[in-house]
Amino acid sequence: MKRRNESKAYLYLAPAVILAALFCWYPAIIGFVQSFLTVNASGKVLGFAGLSNYRSLFADKAFQNSLKVSLRFIVLFVPANTFVTLLAASMTRRKSRFSAIPEYVFFAPVAVSLSAYSLIMKDLFRGNASVINKITGLKMGWITEPAGAMATLVILGIFLDFGIDYILLMCAFRSSDKSVLEAARMDGAGGWRLFLQIELPLIRETTLVTIFLALKDAILISAPIIILTEGGPYRSTETVMFYYYLEAFKSGNRGVQNALSALVIVIAAIFMALYNSRRRAR
Amino acid sequence: MKRKPIDIFRYYLRIVLLIAFSIVVAFPVLYMISSSLFSQRDFNKLRVLPTTPMWSNYIKALNHRYFSYYLVNSIGTSLLSAIIRTLVVIFASFALTHLQFRGKKLILSALVLTLFVPQEAILYQNYKTIANLGLLDSWTAIIAPGLFSAAQMLLLMGSFTAQGRDTYDAARMDGASDMRYIWSVLVPLSGPATLTIMIQTLITSFNSYLWPLLVTNKPKTRTIQIGITMLGFAESGETGAQMATLALITIPFLIILAFTKRRIENALIRR
Repeated sequence: MKRRNESKAYLYLAPAVILAALFCWYPAIIGFVQSFLTVNASGKVLGFAGLSNYRSLFADKAFQNSLKVSLRFIVLFVPANTFVTLLAASMTRRKSRFSAIPEYVFFAPVAVSLSAYSLIMKDLFRGNASVINKITGLKMGWITEPAGAMATLVILGIFLDFGIDYILLMCAFRSSDKSVLEAARMDGAGGWRLFLQIELPLIRETTLVTIFLALKDAILISAPIIILTEGGPYRSTETVMFYYYLEAFKSGNRGVQNALSALVIVIAAIFMALYNSRRRAR
Repeated sequence: MKRKPIDIFRYYLRIVLLIAFSIVVAFPVLYMISSSLFSQRDFNKLRVLPTTPMWSNYIKALNHRYFSYYLVNSIGTSLLSAIIRTLVVIFASFALTHLQFRGKKLILSALVLTLFVPQEAILYQNYKTIANLGLLDSWTAIIAPGLFSAAQMLLLMGSFTAQGRDTYDAARMDGASDMRYIWSVLVPLSGPATLTIMIQTLITSFNSYLWPLLVTNKPKTRTIQIGITMLGFAESGETGAQMATLALITIPFLIILAFTKRRIENALIRR
């Protein structure tokens, strides 16, 4: 009876295990092992390479540039995204007669796909003569100049994450313990003080989750860049993962691609471990 | 209690700010809808509203020679993904929460470990696997790497554990098979979690871009998300038709969202 139960359990787990093995463990391990080997373009192993793949990765000017671009994007995007989504959530944190309308507007970006937003932004921010310049009175080159292209990418990134971050934060506000708020109000706390010292700290956990999600998206961003700028102008929006995409699928540089893949997995693992240990500590 | 003028001022200031903010957030989608009725002249003149609505843009979009292929591929792959992934996750969660077997902890940890590997970092290796299996340009290629999700498995395991094993043991006593127990007891009782998984998968796979871009080369096998960037409308001076295509695939989701918003909020707000 027990034996039959066991084989049955493996049968139920088989699809999940096979899929995880084929499309996650296997590629991760192969990539990691091959990052220490010399592999030619067709995938043939030619010998042991030690750290030379990593050395040539870090020596590549384009990779150094992509590190700077990614860092710049992270530094601009993560705080801006957190601020804007928190602002939207806090403005609608209390239910009122008409709050369903702004709630829907702020949540709606989840229904718009990545390529749709990218294409819309590409048109809105198309250059000096663009709708955005006409409306705001600015005179920016947007996607035609390095600083403008980065700004456009940050704005696009915010729209892509806005809906999900907003709904998480708004619901966190509404889940906060009402008795704590009442007690604070009794003590005479109101307005800004109540908001900054009581309400905001109450949703700290959810805020951290959205910051973590934003960080992950910022580190891994590549698809919007493929549509919006293709890394340009002058490589100013060529992030690390866009560089990976170019190396893997355009130039076919196996060594560099494997080294980078291994690095990203290690960094992601460290981030996840830190995040989980923090969550578990609570 | 009479309101002080400063409070009334604050109240209206908040409303004005909220309206302004809402307009900014909604602007790209509003522009998409408005510009789907633009003539090329409207685009060149940087207009926000069309001079005369060009409904023909929608005709052009619908008559694009690949539009129906894109749409069928997208709907087909995302429905299949949602169904298969939910099944895979249900079976795995059932085994891990209801059955006793050797290596349970090991298998669970190994499955959870997949959370630590971002798909973006193993794109090339997965592409190679699909290519070696001769699956490029097929629905299988588009959906295969996304058919298991450890995050969703953990979600469902949480819901399955909450049902307790007592019901399972009782059902077994009564001679009910596992399948019958899963479909008549477990899944209905974890309705919200199962539904969340299906809807989540449906949306993410309908909207996925990078992976389908890599594994499809023939126009007839592409999904709509890839297709809309390659329609060629913008290049041939028909940006309006491109925006009409975007509107066609976005508006249905906006409508669905309007109807499901409250339910999603109720699931997220703890009282």
